[in-house]
Amino acid sequence: MVGSTVSVGQHRPARFPRLLVSQEAVILIVAIVLALVFALTLPGFATVGNLLTLARSVSVLGILGLAMALVVIGRGLDLSLIAAMAAGSAAVIQALNAGLPVPVALLIGLAVVLAIGFVNGWVIAFVEVPALFTTLATAFLIFGLTRFVLKTVIVYPPPTATAFLYLGQGRPLGIPMPIIMFAAVAVLVHLFLSRTRAGRFIYARGDNTEAARLTGVDVRRDIIVSYMLAAAIGFLAGIVSSASTASMNMQIINSTLIFDVVLVVVLGGVSLVGGRGSVLSVLVGTLLIGVLLNGLTIMNVNGQVQDIIRGLVLLGAIILDNRLHPRDEETARQGD
Amino acid sequence: MNEMIIAAGAAQPAAAAAKGTGKVPVLSVTRASKIYGGVHAIEDVDFDVHAGEVHALVGENGAGKSTLCKAIAGAIQLTSGEIALDGAPAHFERPADALAAGINMVYQETSLVPTMTVAQNLELGNEPLITRFRSLNIQAQQLLQSLNFHVEPTAMVATLGTAKRQMVEIARAVRHKARLIIFDEPTASLTPEEILHFFHLVEDLRARGVAIIYISHALEESLKISDRITVLRDGKLVITAPTKDMTREELVRHMVGRDISRTHYAKHATAAPAASAPPVLREKVLEVENVTMGTAVKNMSFSLYAGEVVGVAGLIGSGRTEIAKVIAGALKRNLINGGMIYLRGKPVRYRVPRQAIDDGIVYITEDRKLDGFFETMAIDDNMYVGKLATKAGRTFLLSGAVRKSLAADLIARLRIAALDSRAKIVELSGGNQQKVVVGKALAQDPSIVIFDEPTRGVDVGAIPEIHGAIRRLADEGKAVMVISSYLPEVLSISDRILVARQGRIVAELDAATADERQIMYAAIH
Repeated sequence: MVGSTVSVGQHRPARFPRLLVSQEAVILIVAIVLALVFALTLPGFATVGNLLTLARSVSVLGILGLAMALVVIGRGLDLSLIAAMAAGSAAVIQALNAGLPVPVALLIGLAVVLAIGFVNGWVIAFVEVPALFTTLATAFLIFGLTRFVLKTVIVYPPPTATAFLYLGQGRPLGIPMPIIMFAAVAVLVHLFLSRTRAGRFIYARGDNTEAARLTGVDVRRDIIVSYMLAAAIGFLAGIVSSASTASMNMQIINSTLIFDVVLVVVLGGVSLVGGRGSVLSVLVGTLLIGVLLNGLTIMNVNGQVQDIIRGLVLLGAIILDNRLHPRDEETARQGD
Repeated sequence: MNEMIIAAGAAQPAAAAAKGTGKVPVLSVTRASKIYGGVHAIEDVDFDVHAGEVHALVGENGAGKSTLCKAIAGAIQLTSGEIALDGAPAHFERPADALAAGINMVYQETSLVPTMTVAQNLELGNEPLITRFRSLNIQAQQLLQSLNFHVEPTAMVATLGTAKRQMVEIARAVRHKARLIIFDEPTASLTPEEILHFFHLVEDLRARGVAIIYISHALEESLKISDRITVLRDGKLVITAPTKDMTREELVRHMVGRDISRTHYAKHATAAPAASAPPVLREKVLEVENVTMGTAVKNMSFSLYAGEVVGVAGLIGSGRTEIAKVIAGALKRNLINGGMIYLRGKPVRYRVPRQAIDDGIVYITEDRKLDGFFETMAIDDNMYVGKLATKAGRTFLLSGAVRKSLAADLIARLRIAALDSRAKIVELSGGNQQKVVVGKALAQDPSIVIFDEPTRGVDVGAIPEIHGAIRRLADEGKAVMVISSYLPEVLSISDRILVARQGRIVAELDAATADERQIMYAAIH
């Protein structure tokens, strides 16, 4: 997506100047400026140790952001993402506690989240309930079901499941696993969105669902597949998170984490109207939030103030989105 | 009337135009300019309109008609230039300011609240503290009756058709004691019958002394209804002249800055070679037999032949779009609805457009902005998505080379005026956007192509090119069906004409011998 805007430069300018400032660029610059300010003013910010901590702390958020971006670009929304991630991880942990080997446990967890994604996608595609309501309802449903099945709020994997714990705590080549996972998912999702037919169809569907349907895109199947994919990627985030902390707290479903996920997605320019944004958007959004929260933590700013700042950043991002993709598209629609 | 003609570029104040009549115009605009992103949407335009006058504003898409009118209605601010109301300088910060001054703009997309009743919509913005529904409805009834509108005040706006919604909008403008009403493409979605009624209404408003600005693509309409015509081209004023001194040819010449022959409306100038082939030799590609679909389509039967253009005329609501969508799988045909559709003798029943596309049937929408193209995508991506959605074009990985060659081929075939196939489709004019939508369909290599209103909202220069493309498809041996409300178009591009009325095909005419009166007679009676 980014490459395409660059390649245009070699041709003669079009009748109307393109947007010179993309939202990704704005957010990236803000993040870099913020990082420089922190590096100059905060002792201990610009150290290798802290930067690794920063990267690791936002990895889970970033992976969840990539999952969310897949559905948001297709004009959807998945508020049950955290619930699916918690349920999938809990299933893996319980399977491990029951003595099953790690690969089998992971497959069970994957089956659980794929089923959740399928239900979401099916209700949205075939019953045509708006994604917001569908996924809100399934999030509650999953939370209730896991509480009913587990009888506890927090589940712990057996300390003997070292292969599982390695997925969150391992450091191949000195790099923490969460960072490796985040990078791998980012590359794969980027290739999927920009290089495959299915990825192109997600943009087409997000841009104009009815036009996509009339063009012959199998819209309903694609919706189901995209929610299943999102749930599967969310499941990876859950594995990384539960393996690195050696636990999964079901209360995470009721936390504000889902709003952080929406924040990093929208911040970087994955517009909620669909069809816009890319993996780069999620990366810069995650970077900005990571730098911001890390800096605030070093400054010892308390949680309430951090929440206020996060709220302001989200509001600012939505206003920016609105400025860059204005509703009154007077200039864009001169041709009418 | 005023005999003066103001030539382009003459730095003459608009007030001078009023000299002939000695009256002060209701509204005049002097040296108006509006710049978007460094480009002039309008430049140094002088314009005025008098009480009891209909002033038509014509020009190709992007000529600046809407920009000028939005500035008059306070929706946008001019970069430079003055607006005067009754000769006194006026400044409209917001649409509400213009409204208070008696300027109403009736938009193509209506601005009514669908979930409210007609009476509530008429009252909108002027509600007393406590509304008494009875008196509200009685007042609305009186207003609608005085305008001779047959609209029920208690009807929910959502249940009304386009024509009736427009009536409500006009009634609202009258209720606001409008002195100037701007109509932006008022007849675009009206049937010929409704257009006639609309014209009576405009006459009536004119008789009441209301000044009217009339923006339209339909030149015949503008010539018929207006007192003066102003032509804009590329944001500049070309000419303002009394309508009686104008002809269609002159208007077109002024609009495009070059002469366009009448061929695209002359009968069979292009259709002749194909029409001479006896139809019996052609392969029957598609047969529709007694198809029924709810109340929209009742017992329709007709056939499409390879190498032939079939025009479908009929009023809105005649079932013509619905049958096209049924054929193309865009509307699901339930088993309880009767009838059969045969594709080369084999019965077919599509649930989704994808199945029809796999069988080589494409439907090109009547509203490209609503469900035609992908606005965030480049020209070539739009067309490539079309190819990717077919069986033949199915690949896991995208190919830049395929995308490029496909775009280059279609841009050449359809004569799309684009400097760069990577440019965003929204940067194109309406006509070129339409060509891209056609290109997206042709990328699917269809054998049956259904066009629904192929030249709606298309600039005059692009119409003959689209007609040429339609004819070439038939010459290549494809079966082509063209739905159009514009009778000269139906007559000029078709080999055979079907007329739909109330869900039935009521007449089948040979385009070589048919005329507009015959079609209208079948469509209305």
